[in-house]
Amino acid sequence: MRLNQRLFVSFDWLWFLCLLLLSGAGLAAIWSTTQGTSISFYLGRQVIYLCLSLLVFLVLLYFDYHVYSDYVNFAYIAGLAVLSLVLVIGHTVHSNKSWLKLGLVAIQPSELIKVLVIVALAKYYAETDRDTLELRELVTGGLITLVPMVLVMLQGDLGTAITFLPIYAGLTFLGGLKRKHVVVLLITTVLVLPAGWMMLKGYQKERITNVLNPSNDPQGYGYQPKQSKIAIGSGGFLGKGFKQGTQGQLGFLPARHTDFVFAVWSEERGFIGSITLLGLFLLVSLRLLRACREAKDKIGSLLTMGVFSLYLFHVLINVGMDLGLLPIAGIPLPFVSAGGSSLLSFYAAMSLGMNVNMRRFVN
Amino acid sequence: MVKLQLESNRQPIQRRLYWLYPAVILIFVLLGVRLWWLQILQGAEYARLAEQNRIRSIQVVAPRGPILDRNGLPLVDNRPSMNILLDRELMSDPASTRAFVTARLAISAEDFEAQLRRARRAGPYHPIVIKEDVGIEDVSVVESHKREHPELQLGPAPRRLYRYGNLGAHVLGYVGEVSEDDLSNNVFPGIQSGDMVGRTGVERVYNQCLTGQNGAKEVLVNSVGRELGVVAERDAAIGGDLRLTLDYDLQSQAEILLAGNVGAIVAMDPRNGEILAMASAPSFNPNSFSPRISATEWSAITNDPDHPLQNRASQNTYPPGSIFKLVMSEAGLDEGLVDESTHVVCRGSEVFYNNVFHCWQERGHGYVNLEGAITQSCNIFFYTLGQRIGIDRIAQHAKALGLGSRTGIDLPAENNGLVPSPEWKQAVRGEKWYAGETISVAIGQGPIRVTPLQLARVVSAIATDGKLVTPHLLLHAERGTYPPWPVQQSPIKPESASRIRAGMWGSVNNGGTGHSAGLPGLDICGKTGTVQVVGTERKKELKSEAVENHAWFAGFASRDNPEIAVIVFLEHGGAGGAAAAPMAKEMFRTYFNKKSNPELYTQMAGRMSGGDAR
Repeated sequence: MRLNQRLFVSFDWLWFLCLLLLSGAGLAAIWSTTQGTSISFYLGRQVIYLCLSLLVFLVLLYFDYHVYSDYVNFAYIAGLAVLSLVLVIGHTVHSNKSWLKLGLVAIQPSELIKVLVIVALAKYYAETDRDTLELRELVTGGLITLVPMVLVMLQGDLGTAITFLPIYAGLTFLGGLKRKHVVVLLITTVLVLPAGWMMLKGYQKERITNVLNPSNDPQGYGYQPKQSKIAIGSGGFLGKGFKQGTQGQLGFLPARHTDFVFAVWSEERGFIGSITLLGLFLLVSLRLLRACREAKDKIGSLLTMGVFSLYLFHVLINVGMDLGLLPIAGIPLPFVSAGGSSLLSFYAAMSLGMNVNMRRFVN
Repeated sequence: MVKLQLESNRQPIQRRLYWLYPAVILIFVLLGVRLWWLQILQGAEYARLAEQNRIRSIQVVAPRGPILDRNGLPLVDNRPSMNILLDRELMSDPASTRAFVTARLAISAEDFEAQLRRARRAGPYHPIVIKEDVGIEDVSVVESHKREHPELQLGPAPRRLYRYGNLGAHVLGYVGEVSEDDLSNNVFPGIQSGDMVGRTGVERVYNQCLTGQNGAKEVLVNSVGRELGVVAERDAAIGGDLRLTLDYDLQSQAEILLAGNVGAIVAMDPRNGEILAMASAPSFNPNSFSPRISATEWSAITNDPDHPLQNRASQNTYPPGSIFKLVMSEAGLDEGLVDESTHVVCRGSEVFYNNVFHCWQERGHGYVNLEGAITQSCNIFFYTLGQRIGIDRIAQHAKALGLGSRTGIDLPAENNGLVPSPEWKQAVRGEKWYAGETISVAIGQGPIRVTPLQLARVVSAIATDGKLVTPHLLLHAERGTYPPWPVQQSPIKPESASRIRAGMWGSVNNGGTGHSAGLPGLDICGKTGTVQVVGTERKKELKSEAVENHAWFAGFASRDNPEIAVIVFLEHGGAGGAAAAPMAKEMFRTYFNKKSNPELYTQMAGRMSGGDAR
């Protein structure tokens, strides 16, 4: 378990640099939109979160990833207990009872639990030595995902709850599906979707229909995607410059330092800036895929796949929402959006991927 | 062995990963294309939308130009007022806005919805007026709820103020929101839906001169509509002055005379057609229309059987009665059918075409020549003349003096009047002309119809040896150029005009029917007219006001130096000599009094001491 020189050489510096650049872009966007306003403490807080996250990232990187899979059962159960606790004594922000107050800081356990689900599910799927998963394994894996997901849903945070699905989908895909199970899953999806639609709240339905018809009711639920598109589009090629974005600065963009931080960045940095950000995200995705392919064992591949699924899903949903392609869902942009829990969970998840990558040659 | 098993387990994973690469790259390319679309291809459009978000343009309504009388006295100008505007772009919840305006601003929900519907044609960035001319209470309600209701705004809007209420209402007109008809017919170039325009009177005719140049204020706003600063500002420019030919004192005199009557008074300068006074009764208060007339007031006006909105001087027509004898005289003289020796013996009645026709003087006038016939208004003389001239030549001369066609005055909806002829009767009524009708027309009865304004023109032609002027109200417009008012020469010969004037002079000054119009020291010339509405026998049966005769007086002064022509018309007012002539006398008196003693007129004196000559 000694951190030998080979490990140090195998550390992917470019990958790490991408993460730092993304975090830096996030700080710049948060600085631009919150300095001099009533929420100016966001920048300082985000810097502290970033330092904390980097520390956790390095500590997690130090230990071999098998250590985590060995102890994940306890951690997973403890995580479920915390989620249940949140339901009882949680703190409500924007109608989501998903916050836990720990002294001065409030954390969102629902963000952190995702990492535990990745490890737990990867460990469970890795235990089988067949090429494809049995129905029993599919169901058990589903329950490992579904239990925390339902708890998060009960907190009222549908956006975060949905992000558990790509973890299950990605790991199950890699674990191997029998053809008949694919058919069963497809049929189940087709049957569950309408029921799910009916379970949605009025404003949630509006958000989805507004993606299909954005000009409908521009002052209502279509307001946010419209303003986001205006922010991004008006950035043009070179952008309006730091602190010059009118959409962000004058408050036409809602949630400008969190959900719509990509729009703020695109408005002020233009096409050059937004395509650069997109390139960084793509590079990290490809690094994760490579780590998955080159992992030395099955659990390594599965862990990396879980991180990849969670990360890519967040990027696509958030950017797609800002670009007016997908419905509004309160899903943060990895490494960029303001918010400590999200930043911490993504650095933790990414450290898993890099952990696997670093130790691909070590036995 | 362990390693082998591992390898065999890893192969399907490698295979499954294989096609994830192109899928991921494809997804990012799609996002990149979307960025290219939004930022590069649609960039300019979104930049415009962002500007529209942050810059709000506020229209600053320009006040209309003042309307002055001929001496520069303001008859119409503006007063400050506030409107409540609704910016539909800032209205996030129409239901809550509606609840607020109904509860706090006393606007009914139906009115609110109706205004929203009406404004659908205008762009959403165009704020609509939901309540006009509000008081201080409404202003403070809007001001104190700026945060909750940023869509409700206050807009200063200068209002039209008609300083003397009803005075000159028919001439001045009133203003209102431009009508759909006027918009689709493009009556007012450059005017948009919701703009205020003149609806009638000179307000309408000279709308272009009176309309100012609206200003605009571009303000920087944030997402909740708070104004953060002014980006650009263009001041509103007031509309041009409009100076009318009206004389306040003369107009005021005419209005006083008409009070309680139904009728019209016109005073005109016979030399150039300048209207000095034009009053019609009953009248209305144009301030009721500013900013908007209430439904009850509107129905009261439109349901009034006397139609107060009608300008009786130019829009209504009546039989001219004996005033038409002036036209008959001109026709007779200029056709050579009347000379120095022409005379008729009036015995009170005469038979024409097997019918008995009466003179108003039952015992007859005896021996009368042309001048005497005008002075005494002898019917028998003109029956005889009419029979000799014939209807075709009567119509020809009437038309040459401007009857049957518009005078061309600068007021909307002038009436043509009607000069009957056999062709007209055949075409319109499909009947043959009876010779007896010519006898009726000869004394201005029968189907002939004129406006008081047309008679003012006829009298002026007689006063000025045949100058047929175009009556007009415009003295000077600050904006726009208007061609000079045409003056035609009518076929009336100076000698003929002179003989008719002699008869008219006698009517007022030599024991004629118009003696009540006489003023000592002034050579006033005039002619009375009394129009029989129904036959004498039937009148006794009906005994109602509507069957009372119409009273006319048409005259000018002075005989040798004509400077004012006056027409008085009273609907069902009785005999011209008794009812209309005394009113004309007051008009002449005011005119000449003011001319010789201008300092006596308080309006003039007040204006001069005020030193505001505009």
